[in-house]
Amino acid sequence: MSEPILQATGLSKTYLSGERRLEVLRGVELTVSAGETVSIRGESGSGKSTLLHLIAGLDKPDTGTLAWEGSADTGAARRARFLGMVFQSFYLIPELDALGNVLMAARMLGKVDAAARARAASLLERVGLAERGHHLPAQLSGGERQRVAIARALMNSPRLLLADEPTGNLDEKTGESILELLLSVAAEQGAALVLVTHNPAHAARASRRMTMHAGVLSDV
Amino acid sequence: MPSVSELGALRGEILNPMPWSLYLALKQLFPSGKRFPFFTAISVLGVALGVMLLIVSISVMGGFGREIRRMIIDTQGDVQIRGQGTTINDVSGLLDALKTVPEVVAATPFAEGVVLLEHDRRPAFPAVQGVDLQRIENVIPLRDYIVAGSLDELDDDSVILSSQLARSLGARIGSTVQIYSPLLLEKLKQDEVLLPRDLRVAGVFEIGHQQLDSSVVLVTLRLMQDLYGLGDSVHGVNLRIKPSADPDLVARKINAGLPFNLRAGSWMEANQDFLFVLQLEKNMIFFLLVFIIVVAAFSVTSSLLIAVVRKTREIGLLGALGARPSQVAACFCFQGLFIGVAGTLLGLALGFGALAVRNDAIELFTRLTGSEEALLRFYQFSNLPAYLATSDLVLIIACAVGISTAAGLLPAWRASRLNPVEALRNE
Repeated sequence: MSEPILQATGLSKTYLSGERRLEVLRGVELTVSAGETVSIRGESGSGKSTLLHLIAGLDKPDTGTLAWEGSADTGAARRARFLGMVFQSFYLIPELDALGNVLMAARMLGKVDAAARARAASLLERVGLAERGHHLPAQLSGGERQRVAIARALMNSPRLLLADEPTGNLDEKTGESILELLLSVAAEQGAALVLVTHNPAHAARASRRMTMHAGVLSDV
Repeated sequence: MPSVSELGALRGEILNPMPWSLYLALKQLFPSGKRFPFFTAISVLGVALGVMLLIVSISVMGGFGREIRRMIIDTQGDVQIRGQGTTINDVSGLLDALKTVPEVVAATPFAEGVVLLEHDRRPAFPAVQGVDLQRIENVIPLRDYIVAGSLDELDDDSVILSSQLARSLGARIGSTVQIYSPLLLEKLKQDEVLLPRDLRVAGVFEIGHQQLDSSVVLVTLRLMQDLYGLGDSVHGVNLRIKPSADPDLVARKINAGLPFNLRAGSWMEANQDFLFVLQLEKNMIFFLLVFIIVVAAFSVTSSLLIAVVRKTREIGLLGALGARPSQVAACFCFQGLFIGVAGTLLGLALGFGALAVRNDAIELFTRLTGSEEALLRFYQFSNLPAYLATSDLVLIIACAVGISTAAGLLPAWRASRLNPVEALRNE
């Protein structure tokens, strides 16, 4: 049996707010297999984003362990290859055009050759922005920016895609199309997807649904 | 001529292999699609102005310094041998001995002193140099400085006056001046009749130095020996050495063979206080003007710090994409380095451009203000000298690039310390 893409065991995280201790995550257990889509719903402040940051290796848990395909190496160098992230606020680099933003992921690996440029162009085509490659983020709509962000997240063929409220800043119709795109391209690229969302309809599209409440993650 | 698409491909080939931190630094300085990057232009211009002022000021100071050094060497030779409280009695023996020193090209003896000079009831107390007409031109290019009359006319009954002295005495070529030497005063003490020497003005010289041009006269060595009762003795010998030779080393070598009452000294040693002041002035100007670059660097630091705050979320994103803190820091360091290099190159171009038109600018300024004569009178130049030593150029470039790069360090440090999680939460 192959290793799960992601295995989080007993993750907990506490923040200090003045004299108060905020227990944001309490013994979170999460296993994600290859190609699986997992949605996580929960109210604001329930710890969804914190969990995503821990999964991404951007923060360290107080207790518990995290493994990417069986390896505890969650450092920056591996992160660039192993996972792609999509955020609510897109986070495109304003000085770079759409193609430049997608290629930025490849630059992190020092691989900006003709093949990388061709892949970036094909990803932009796949997200419906074939003609907008040389447009700056400021010249794109919210939905188009999120499409660029999805293409960037997929640029290095990640094994795991993390999406933190990817439709949160978009209108309903655009949000629907972005979710559709995210699910389909993740499936095409063979990437597992962890989707954090407030939207019950969007959460229902995942193969596995989970909820987060007061730092505790549980299956629906 | 390459097509637009070929240029695009070329640009891609240059940018593609770059480390992402350098690529992003360049993109942040020159964003895609933006016509004119004001932040970059103003930052580069700040450094460029500092470099330009340094180049112009240090070059002009260097030019003056070189002119003064040239004048000192032209009037004293490279090395000078003097008696220590005594005269040099065996001149020919000394000259023969000097011929054995391979670095010495030529030597000329001299005698010097102060006399009372009078013309048309106008007195002056100039310094007199007695020169050996047979040898002087091998060491000192005296003929180059004669502005009236001729060096060939100088004999034991004539004198060559410095230009301002001739003007203040009202003496011209062919005029007769009277010289009273200290020896005549000795005779006066012995109740002998005091008779001055009548000398014909054979020429006028101008070196370009206020002091020398207002208080020096030249006579033949024989006349000076006569005026001071020196017999065959002289006060010193000026030497010209090979251009490649070090005057200090040659002086040291000569001293090793000189009797205890004679000493050789290089022109640098003889004028070390003056040269020290020249160097001090130059250093002070450098020190003060380099602060223009420091101020420009502070403005670069300030702008980059603002950029770090403004780009907090992007820095967080870079972390999410797999950037290490050192790479994020390098991105801001590269921006400081680029501003430094570009500012320095522009400053060098502006500085050398300004130097190229300096004389036209001065001519225009003096013509507009009617101050041509004042400039000539007080500064003895109509053309502004300029000389930039390679070491000064290297120092200016190193300071400008170094300070500008240092300007990026604080923003780089701040950026590298940003926690990606905190940065991404900063919505």
